[in-house]
Amino acid sequence: MSRVDDLRGTLAAVDRSRAALYAVLFAMVAFYLAPLESGLATSIKTEAGFRATTPYAPPPLGEFTLAAWQVAFDRLSQGLINSLLMAIPATVLSALLGSLSAYGLTNLDWRGQTGVLVLFVAGVFLPYQSVLVPLRQFWSAVDLPSLIPLGFVGSYEGLITLSLTHAAYGIPICTVLFRSYYATLDEEMIEAARLDGASAATIYRRIVLPLSVPIFAVTLIYQFTQVWNDLLFAIVLVTDPSNQVVTVALNQLQGSFVNQYNLQMAGAFVAALPTLVVYVLFGEQFAKGVAGES
Amino acid sequence: MARLELDSVTKRFGDGPDAVVAVDDVNVDIADGEFLVLVGPSGCGKSTTLRMVAGLETVTDGEVRLDGTRINERGPAERDIAMVFQSYALYPHMTVRGNMRFGLEESTDLDDEAIDERVEETAAMLDITELLDRKPGALSGGQRQRVALGRAIVREPAAFLMDEPLSNLDAKLRSQMRTELQQLQNDLDTTTVYVTHDQTEAMTMGDRIAILDAGELQQVATPLEAYHRPANRFVAGFIGEPSMNFVETTVEDGALTAGEGLVYPLAGDAADAVAGASAVTLGVRPEDVRVSADGDPADVASEHVFDATVDVVEPMGNENVVHLTLPNGPDLTATVDGLRQIADGTDARVGIPAKAIHLFDRDSGEALHNRSLDDAEMDAPNV
Amino acid sequence: MLGGLFGRSERDPDDAESDGEQRSRPGGEQRLRTDGGATASASAGTDASILTRLRRSEFVESIPFWGPPAVLVGIFVYGAVAWNLVISLIGWDGLGQPEYTDFSLAAYEQLLVDPSFTSAFWNTLILLLVFTVLSLAVGLLLAILIDRGIRFENTFRTIYLLPMSLSFVVTAIFWAWMYNPRIGLINTALRGVGLDVLTTAWLSNPDVKLFAIIFALMWQFSGYCMVVYLAGLRAIPRDQYEAARIDGASTLRVYLRVIIPQLGASTMSAAVVLMVFALKAFDFLFVLFGVNPGQSADILSVMMYRVAFDRLQWSYGAAVATVLFAMALSVIGPYLYAQYRRGEL
Repeated sequence: MSRVDDLRGTLAAVDRSRAALYAVLFAMVAFYLAPLESGLATSIKTEAGFRATTPYAPPPLGEFTLAAWQVAFDRLSQGLINSLLMAIPATVLSALLGSLSAYGLTNLDWRGQTGVLVLFVAGVFLPYQSVLVPLRQFWSAVDLPSLIPLGFVGSYEGLITLSLTHAAYGIPICTVLFRSYYATLDEEMIEAARLDGASAATIYRRIVLPLSVPIFAVTLIYQFTQVWNDLLFAIVLVTDPSNQVVTVALNQLQGSFVNQYNLQMAGAFVAALPTLVVYVLFGEQFAKGVAGES
Repeated sequence: MARLELDSVTKRFGDGPDAVVAVDDVNVDIADGEFLVLVGPSGCGKSTTLRMVAGLETVTDGEVRLDGTRINERGPAERDIAMVFQSYALYPHMTVRGNMRFGLEESTDLDDEAIDERVEETAAMLDITELLDRKPGALSGGQRQRVALGRAIVREPAAFLMDEPLSNLDAKLRSQMRTELQQLQNDLDTTTVYVTHDQTEAMTMGDRIAILDAGELQQVATPLEAYHRPANRFVAGFIGEPSMNFVETTVEDGALTAGEGLVYPLAGDAADAVAGASAVTLGVRPEDVRVSADGDPADVASEHVFDATVDVVEPMGNENVVHLTLPNGPDLTATVDGLRQIADGTDARVGIPAKAIHLFDRDSGEALHNRSLDDAEMDAPNV
Repeated sequence: MLGGLFGRSERDPDDAESDGEQRSRPGGEQRLRTDGGATASASAGTDASILTRLRRSEFVESIPFWGPPAVLVGIFVYGAVAWNLVISLIGWDGLGQPEYTDFSLAAYEQLLVDPSFTSAFWNTLILLLVFTVLSLAVGLLLAILIDRGIRFENTFRTIYLLPMSLSFVVTAIFWAWMYNPRIGLINTALRGVGLDVLTTAWLSNPDVKLFAIIFALMWQFSGYCMVVYLAGLRAIPRDQYEAARIDGASTLRVYLRVIIPQLGASTMSAAVVLMVFALKAFDFLFVLFGVNPGQSADILSVMMYRVAFDRLQWSYGAAVATVLFAMALSVIGPYLYAQYRRGEL
């Protein structure tokens, strides 16, 4: 009988510790979701509603409204479009360049690779403040419309500037992400291709690139959220209001509707929606990108 | 078809005092159509040597010649050489057909039809036709191994280089592939350099074997030569399983002495060979050691028979591996017929036939005297 | 984590073909000559081979791949940093264009006597230390909890990492609402459990302002630390937990004595990322406070923007930026050097 009791005791202890474990896990879920939940609840209340109720409670009867979302969306829609126009080319460009440089620095052998690589890696950690003033000078000296004589360049100058800037500063992290993946490719496979007569360019095109799909997914998703979320480059480099990206537009919305929290929350969600969608769909890739940054 | 020569080939990694010599002055002349096995323990430089031939490593010193032409400066693609890698190194995103086509597409001007024809032919020869449209991920280890072979063969190169191609297979498949590979090489008659650490593969597959240790070539010989007439103690110990017995002895009055338990009188050639030497290693292969539980072994002179204790008997089925200790003397390993009953811990008489002994200089390891092959049913090889 | 990233490291130093080495080798041609007839063709081959070797060397082959990105990084990162340094020396103010004529350290001398620089500098250090330690601790806890073989592991992980995918503009707006003194969630919750004494105007009270910011940033970054630690935990063989359990250690002791000591590399790489982030944190504060967070929450990155882009004191702003760059360098320099020494670059 004592043995059975012992077993019961152990099982109870295990149950208790498991229960405590899940309690902590769910408490942490509450902690991480609280700002979002409170924001979401507030965004669908009327002003009277969010002033009268607790912030996390759902809207009481009669105080439910989607008006804040409607206003926020109208205010931010141009910013959303601009952000997309800016972020997608920037992301694709830095991923491509990162892939190329990672291949040149990983799968081809030459002395001094490490030195070049250190310069790339250090670039990942650069505080952008230390290049802001020169960057502004640089872009004010570059006359994009005359460099690229295409009709649309003039009206999108700010976005093109911002996109190219993000592309350039995205190269280091993209290189690091691709390199971590390329280092795991079978070295003998690359050598086999060389013995088969393929040049470095052919090996990249026919072997390495087709095998890069997973790491392209990681890099594109991670870099897209980084570029989309940026505010600093946007406020420094884009002056034309019609070229405003969504983070800047959201910041202005927040400044002009000081006490209308329902509108602010709705705006925050509208601006975050694309990254949230990407995150929910590709959380795994995002996590890999995040882990790779270190 | 080609003759492949390694002339004083040396590989150093690093510069100056930190330089590591991975391959030191290796000379081998591989005849057209020959199957040469490069064998040695891990880290002996055999793979580096192979990679220098392939053009994947630069040659620090010396020359690699293919049909008399120096190829040191040629890139791997321009050497007309195909290689089979240990990891198989198949392109995972291409089908088997794609893998086999790749080399022909990149290195020849053949049109699509000709390439297809070559691929089909080679696939048929290797019996992998039904795998052609699968990707490597869907193949078993043995199938991948065949595809890797096919990828090399389809290019019809001047020489094959194989780097431990069977080491990722399980034991049974490995011995099957050994035979098959040999047959294939016989049929194709293409010069082949085969790297392995496995002395069984070396013994069974090679026309000749080249034994490397610490970057230095120890001996190039036919398998039987290396077995019966090893150039030095390293080769003697490396080739053969279980390993040759070695007893460190001193020469006193024409006899080898190891402690009090073993005094081994020498005569004839053997005695001449140790004249002037004082420290000599006595070597004898386990299958030459005679063991009897009762009287002296029949065919061994009485002065070469010693008392011993049986420590452990490892039954292998076809034979027993008997570990023995001579009182106040060395340990010996002997192999005896599998049907013989020998128990652990019993006393035995051990005979070391004079004609079976090898003698090595203890300092240099050089062979001073090798066993006699008088009564062997083979032509005594020239050493 | 860089360790994992740069797994491929053991390059044979001699792999790259060096032409100089080939040419200076005396033996080559002489030996050929002893081969008799080969002399003429062989020496012709050597002459041509310098060119062919160069063409064929992997270094030359690799340039088209890493060259253009390296040029871009060189210009935008290193060129810009150097330019910034020059601008900090030329005493440039206002709306005009810079004149690169008089160079002086005036901007840096001004830093030393500027009280707003002093407070921003110390606030930056406090942010850097407290934020890093706090985020690491919470991230480690989360990672250990997640690693306990729980159900819905992916869901939990996804939720904890979610804030990391949001823009600072978005999270700042959420947290401004959370910290709202009258009807924000924090104070409402505190009142709800009878802790009225603790309620305060979180984002205006100078005593708690910086801590409130740190707490919100921790909320956003602890998920990142969890991901890094989780990778570190997963790299530890399962046997070690079992071996320690068989040795009689309690769960707590297994973690304290066996597992956590092995997470040094994860801690180091995550800490570097957090510290560098603390140096450049700007968006979050800018959305909450604009360019003037007030003395108690001012940090160097905000000060740099204020001085340069609000007051148009370009050189002075560039000097602050140089200080930031130097601080970042003092964090990543030793880290990269350590990685390099361990052969993980």
